[in-house]
Amino acid sequence: MKVRFWGVRGSIPVPGPRTNRYGGNTSCVAVRSPGGTDVVLDAGTGLRKLGQELMQRGFGEGKGEAHLLISHTHWDHIQGLPFFAPLHKAGNQFCVYARERAGTPLRSVIATQYDDPYFAVPFDAVKADVDFRELGDGARFELGDVRVSSARLNHPWIATAYRLDSGPASSPASMVYATDTAPFRDILFGEAVAAPPASGAALPAVDVARLGELRASLIDLCRGAQVLVHDAQFTDAEYRERPHWGHSTPDDAIDIALAAGVKTLVLFHHAPERGDDELDLVLAAARARAAGSGLEVLAAHEGLEFDLAERA
Amino acid sequence: MRVTFHGVRGSIPAPGPETNRYGGNTSCVSVRGAGGELVILDMGTGLVGLGKELMAQEFGRGAGAATVLLSHAHWDHIQGFPFFAPAFVPGNSFRVHGMARSSSLLEGILEGQMNPSYSPISSLRNLGATIELVAVTTGMPFDLGGGISVCAALNPHGSTAALAFRIEQAGRSVVYAPDVGYPDGGPSAEVLALYRGADLLIHDCTYTPADRAERRTRGYSSYADAADAAARAGVAQLAMFHYDQDYGDDVVDELARACRAELDHRGATACTLTAAREGMTLEV
Repeated sequence: MKVRFWGVRGSIPVPGPRTNRYGGNTSCVAVRSPGGTDVVLDAGTGLRKLGQELMQRGFGEGKGEAHLLISHTHWDHIQGLPFFAPLHKAGNQFCVYARERAGTPLRSVIATQYDDPYFAVPFDAVKADVDFRELGDGARFELGDVRVSSARLNHPWIATAYRLDSGPASSPASMVYATDTAPFRDILFGEAVAAPPASGAALPAVDVARLGELRASLIDLCRGAQVLVHDAQFTDAEYRERPHWGHSTPDDAIDIALAAGVKTLVLFHHAPERGDDELDLVLAAARARAAGSGLEVLAAHEGLEFDLAERA
Repeated sequence: MRVTFHGVRGSIPAPGPETNRYGGNTSCVSVRGAGGELVILDMGTGLVGLGKELMAQEFGRGAGAATVLLSHAHWDHIQGFPFFAPAFVPGNSFRVHGMARSSSLLEGILEGQMNPSYSPISSLRNLGATIELVAVTTGMPFDLGGGISVCAALNPHGSTAALAFRIEQAGRSVVYAPDVGYPDGGPSAEVLALYRGADLLIHDCTYTPADRAERRTRGYSSYADAADAAARAGVAQLAMFHYDQDYGDDVVDELARACRAELDHRGATACTLTAAREGMTLEV
């Protein structure tokens, strides 16, 4: 599987010279399987330039097909969709996947982004065929030659981690995309608004148990994967200030990667205020922390690409 | 009045080295009145940087107040709002004037942006600051205090419309007209009256004329449309604004050269031309 990062940023796009090297676009990663299955992980603003590239391929002739796996529908994970050129070409086929929500059809969540008064082109005017599939927690399914499995993450409104497996048993390729999530320790997030935890108060035992289950299910999902792309938005100090925002530190990401025996960890969903030089330091510190463990640590940047077949 | 550009891009933020000089943030301009009054024009991603600056002043202590004039609610004009730090500080107050049939409908539009499907903020009520929403009546000047008066007119913008605002203080005038696609005859009489003789006209300049011809239904201006409006209204200075997300800095340089030629061609040789870029301040 070939993987390319088109947007690596969390919360909001951050243009400007301070983000030239890592990139200022919000979350979007493209994966292409050996069998030619196109999978797109999240639809942040990075999707715009991915769309321009896809238009140079079959999508420009209305003969493209891709699957969009959405971690959750917060803005920074869907705001590129209205500017995704292949959607406006008749004949292209897309399927959008995201977690099922009681009373909130996925199609209406996406369509509202297009409709008046927020955007000029109503979703009904999109020319490509777009299908929607709502997923239960832990859903597993196949997309061509790609096997998808998933786990629930710990984030306000709840996000979904996806694992993609492909290739023959002799040279399997596997990666996990796990953003956005807090560590499984201080707050159990649900669909309600999260408030900061009362200082010093112990978590209810039922929440502790549930967090333990969620952590175990994420580690199971990541078990033995070649690559884990994981939320690493916060520094330790930022996490202490905003534990109710639902994001991790690089140490939290390393913790999951080591527990699951992952080969390579890619730090992802960088804070919007983090400039390139600061991100260099974040990466150096994470590498120092993982030194001796055998875990390779990278920091995602726009344009980062690799072929999992070459990393086996 | 002191006018500062915080975001000059249209449609969607455009990060990358190709937009370093003019900037990749979406629409946001601030106007500081002579008495320190603050008026914010649109809330694109440029608002985030403005918010950080404001936090160093009275807004950081919960003692700030500002007026927001919202041209319309397309994403590139509101997407900075959930990340505007002063909105989270109790004690600050913002009065947002925007385009809607009623103030409660305007509130519903911004409430929709915060819906839990899209944002962990979930509701405007979770913002610490006081946010007051006011539906604008076009053609009816309203007073912001400090001797600042505002008047709005409606411009056609593709399948919808967008407000243009004229802000006046002590005989000086700034007009903000983003997102407009005029019909063949150009601006309406009402809109021309709003622009007339302005010291500064900040005008939509999304496209080259060729791109505009191809994408006419999107409802944006070319640099020729901007020059034509500026020349007809006899403004003293034109600031080009709201560049297409796919235009790199070199393209915007070209737009500025071509726009100058259009102004001269229309006899507006005395009109000063500025291509707006992030961080630029103009004294009016």
